[in-house]
Amino acid sequence: MNRKTILRFILFLCLVVIINFILDSAFKAFSVHNDINEVMDQQFIDYQGTMKYLTLGNSHNCINTYILDSSFNYGSPSENFIQSYYKLKYVLENTGQRPRNLILQADVSSFGPKIANRFEYNSYWIRYIDYFELARIKGNRDVLSKWVEGKFISYAGNYKDIQLSIFYRIKVKTLEIYNGYRPHRDYRNFANDPNRQRTAWNKAKLILSPETCLDSSIAIYFEKILQLCQENQIGVMLIRIPMSKEFYEEECRLVPVDDLYASVEAIACRYSVYDRTLDYHDLFFDHPEYFFDPDHLNIKGADLFTERLVKDLGEKNSMALTEQSAKLSGDP
Amino acid sequence: MLFNSIEYLVFLPLVIVIYFIIPVKWRWLFLLVASYFFYMCNRIEYGILILFTTLVDYFVALKIEQSSSRKRKKGYLAISLIANLGMLAGFKYLNFFGESVNLLLDAFHMQGNLPAFRILLPVGISFFVFKSLSYTIDVYRGIRTPEKHLGYYALYVSFFPQLIAGPIDRSSGLLQQFHHPRDFNTDRLISGLKLILWGFFKKVIIADRLGLYVDEIFAHPEAYTGLSVILATVLFAFQLYCDFAGYTDIARGSARILGFDLMINFNRPMVARSLRDFWNRWHISLTTWFRDYVLYSLPYIKNKQVSYARLYVNLVITYLLMGLWHGAAWNFVIFGALNGMFLVLETITEKQREWFFNWSRLNRVHFLNNFLSNIFTLSLIIFTLIFFRADSLGNSLLIISNSFDFSNLYPSLWKILHDNELLFGILVLVNMMVAEHVHEKQDLVKIIASKHIVVRWAVYIGFIFFIILFWVLQKQEFIYFQF
Repeated sequence: MNRKTILRFILFLCLVVIINFILDSAFKAFSVHNDINEVMDQQFIDYQGTMKYLTLGNSHNCINTYILDSSFNYGSPSENFIQSYYKLKYVLENTGQRPRNLILQADVSSFGPKIANRFEYNSYWIRYIDYFELARIKGNRDVLSKWVEGKFISYAGNYKDIQLSIFYRIKVKTLEIYNGYRPHRDYRNFANDPNRQRTAWNKAKLILSPETCLDSSIAIYFEKILQLCQENQIGVMLIRIPMSKEFYEEECRLVPVDDLYASVEAIACRYSVYDRTLDYHDLFFDHPEYFFDPDHLNIKGADLFTERLVKDLGEKNSMALTEQSAKLSGDP
Repeated sequence: MLFNSIEYLVFLPLVIVIYFIIPVKWRWLFLLVASYFFYMCNRIEYGILILFTTLVDYFVALKIEQSSSRKRKKGYLAISLIANLGMLAGFKYLNFFGESVNLLLDAFHMQGNLPAFRILLPVGISFFVFKSLSYTIDVYRGIRTPEKHLGYYALYVSFFPQLIAGPIDRSSGLLQQFHHPRDFNTDRLISGLKLILWGFFKKVIIADRLGLYVDEIFAHPEAYTGLSVILATVLFAFQLYCDFAGYTDIARGSARILGFDLMINFNRPMVARSLRDFWNRWHISLTTWFRDYVLYSLPYIKNKQVSYARLYVNLVITYLLMGLWHGAAWNFVIFGALNGMFLVLETITEKQREWFFNWSRLNRVHFLNNFLSNIFTLSLIIFTLIFFRADSLGNSLLIISNSFDFSNLYPSLWKILHDNELLFGILVLVNMMVAEHVHEKQDLVKIIASKHIVVRWAVYIGFIFFIILFWVLQKQEFIYFQF
C-alpha cells in the first residue's frame, strides 16, 4: 500500500465520518420526536409546586394534565418499563422534582416481548438509559447497537421519522404541550372504520406476542420501578387505559389476560408503596367514537377518561368541565 | 455473531488489521483462533462439535491414504460418514424422526410414545459437516491427497466468513489457498468492501424489507387470501435470494480482503429459463455437492446400460435429500421431492416442449420465448417455496388453497397499494435486478471505478448513506442460519 493510497483511504474515511456527523446532528435537531421529548423534559424541570401525580407509559397514556390537577404526564411513544425505569431514576437523582404518586400505565401490551425489545428514538433515550447495564440484564449484546445508534448514527433506519418530521413542520406550526400532555389525536375516528374488528386484530398482532405475555426483562424492570418508588416513598398506582371492545376481544385471543394480571398483582403486592390497579380497560366499550384507533383514545375520549380518573382519585378538577363533557362523563 | 451486527463491524476490521500485521507463519493460527471465537460467540459448547468433526476427518483422511486395501479405506470412510452424519442426525433430525414414527404408529392405532428431546440446533452445522465430509470423500476417491497440516485443515473447516451459511467450498479450492496466503492488497480490500456493501444492500434494504410483508402473511395464513398470498409467495422467493445472496456477498467480501477467494454461490438465478438452469445458478455450492457426492454415487447402470428410470429416481432422491438438508420437517421433504419431480418432468418433456415452441413459432421471438420460459420456471420454483417457507405442512396447503380465493381482491389491492414500505421494497428490488442484468453485460463496478474521483466517491458515499438511512431496524437473522 503506497502513501497515496493510504492518504486517499484516510481521506475517504474522514469524509464518511464528517458526513455522518452532519447527518446525525441534523437528524437530532430536526426530529419532531426529539423536539416533543425535549419540551417535555424542560417542562418537567420547570414544574412549579407539588407534583401529586407523575404518569408514565407509552402513547396509550393520555391522562390529560389540564384536568388532573398537580400532575405531569411524562409518557412518550413506544416507551416501555425499561425506559420508564431509567427516566424515573434519572429525574429522581438529577432534578429537584419528587412526585408523591406514580401512575404507571399497565396495559397488556406493556408487559410483552414486543415492547420489551422495541427501542426507538435512541438519540433521545441515550441520556437516560444505561445500555451496558441493560445488555447485562437482558443477556443480549444487541442492545449495545442501540447505544451506537443513539450516540453516532441516530438517523439509521429512521427515514419514517424524517418523513413525519417534515409533515409536522409543514402542517403543524405549534406544539401544544401542557405538563407533558399533548392533545393531538383528532384527525381520525375509530367509529368510522368500516372493519373495526379486522383493524383491531391487525393492531393486536402488531404489539402483542402470543408466545410470552410477561417478558422476563420487563418483569425485572417493573420490579426495579417498584423498588425505586419504595426507596423514595412514592406511592404507585397501576392503570389500565381504556381500549375499544374490539381490541380487547383480539387481545384476549392472543394473551391470557387474567393470568397476566394475576402475575403482575403478585409482583406489585410485595411492595408497600403499591396502592391499587385502576382498571379502565372497559370504560368505553360501547363508545368507539371516543377512539382514534383500536387502542388510542382521541382528545374527547382522553378528556372523559381523565375526568373519570379525577373522580375516582377523589381529586378536584383543575379545569371547569364543559356542560357536554360533564353529561358524558357519567355515561359509562 | 451475525454479519449484520455491530459486533461483526468491529470484529472484521480488527481481524483484518491484526492478520496483516503479524508474521506470515502465524497468520493461519490467528485466523483459526478468530474463527473459533466467531463461532463460539453463539455458544461456547459449539466449539467442541466443530473440533470433533475436524479431528475425526483429519485423521480418517490420513488413515485412508495409508491403507492399501479398498476394504480398509471403505471402513475409514464409514467412520467419517457415521461420525459426521450421526452428529447431524442427532442434533437436527432426532426429534423429526421421533415425531414421524409416533405419527406412523398413531395412524395404525398403536401408541407412539417416542420422547421429544430439547436439543438446540448448532448454528451452521449442516454447512461445516458437509464441507468436512466432501474432503474425506475426495481423499477416498483419490481426487486429492490428505492435508498433513492439522492447523490448515482446522481452518478450512472453521473459516469464519463461510462457517455459518457457506458457501460449502471444496478442499481443492479453499484449503490450497491457506498454503499460499496472500499479502495485503489494496485492490482486494476495495473490491472486498464493495462486495460487502452490496451484500448489506441486498440483506438490510431489500430482504428485510420484503420480509416485513412476507412474514406477516406466512405467520397468519388464515387471515389472507388471493392477491396478498400470491404476492407474499412471489416476494418470498426474492427475499430468500437477496437474504442468502447478500450473506454470500458479505462472506466472499470478507474472505477477499483477507486474501482468499470463495466460490460463487449465486449466478442470477431469477433469470433462469428452466429448472435445470435455475439449480445451476442457485446455491451452487450445495447443488454441486449433492450432484457430486449423492447423485453420482447412486447406481444408474442396469444390464450394462444406462437406466433412465433409475436416473430419474436418483434425481428425485437427491433433491428429496437436499430438501431434508434444509430442515427436519415434512414440508422441506416435499419441497425437495417436488423439485426433483419437476426436473424429471422437464427432462422427459424436453422434445415435446421443443416441438411446441417450433409449432407455435415462439422460438422465432427470442424475447418472448425467454420471458415465458423464465416466468414458467419461476412459477414452479415459487410454488415449491411455499412448502419451504410455511411453518407446517397444514399451513402450506392452506396458503395454496387461499391463493385461489379472490373474494377480497379490492381490499387486498388497496392495502398493498398503501403499504409504502412494501412498494419501496419492490422498487429497490426491481432496480437491483436491473443493475444485476446490466452488470452481466457491462461491469458496473469497473465503469464506476473509471470515473473521476469526485463522481466515484460521491457514488460510494451516497450508497453507504442510502443503506444506513433505509436500513430496516427490526433486525432479522439470515434465513439460512437456521439450517
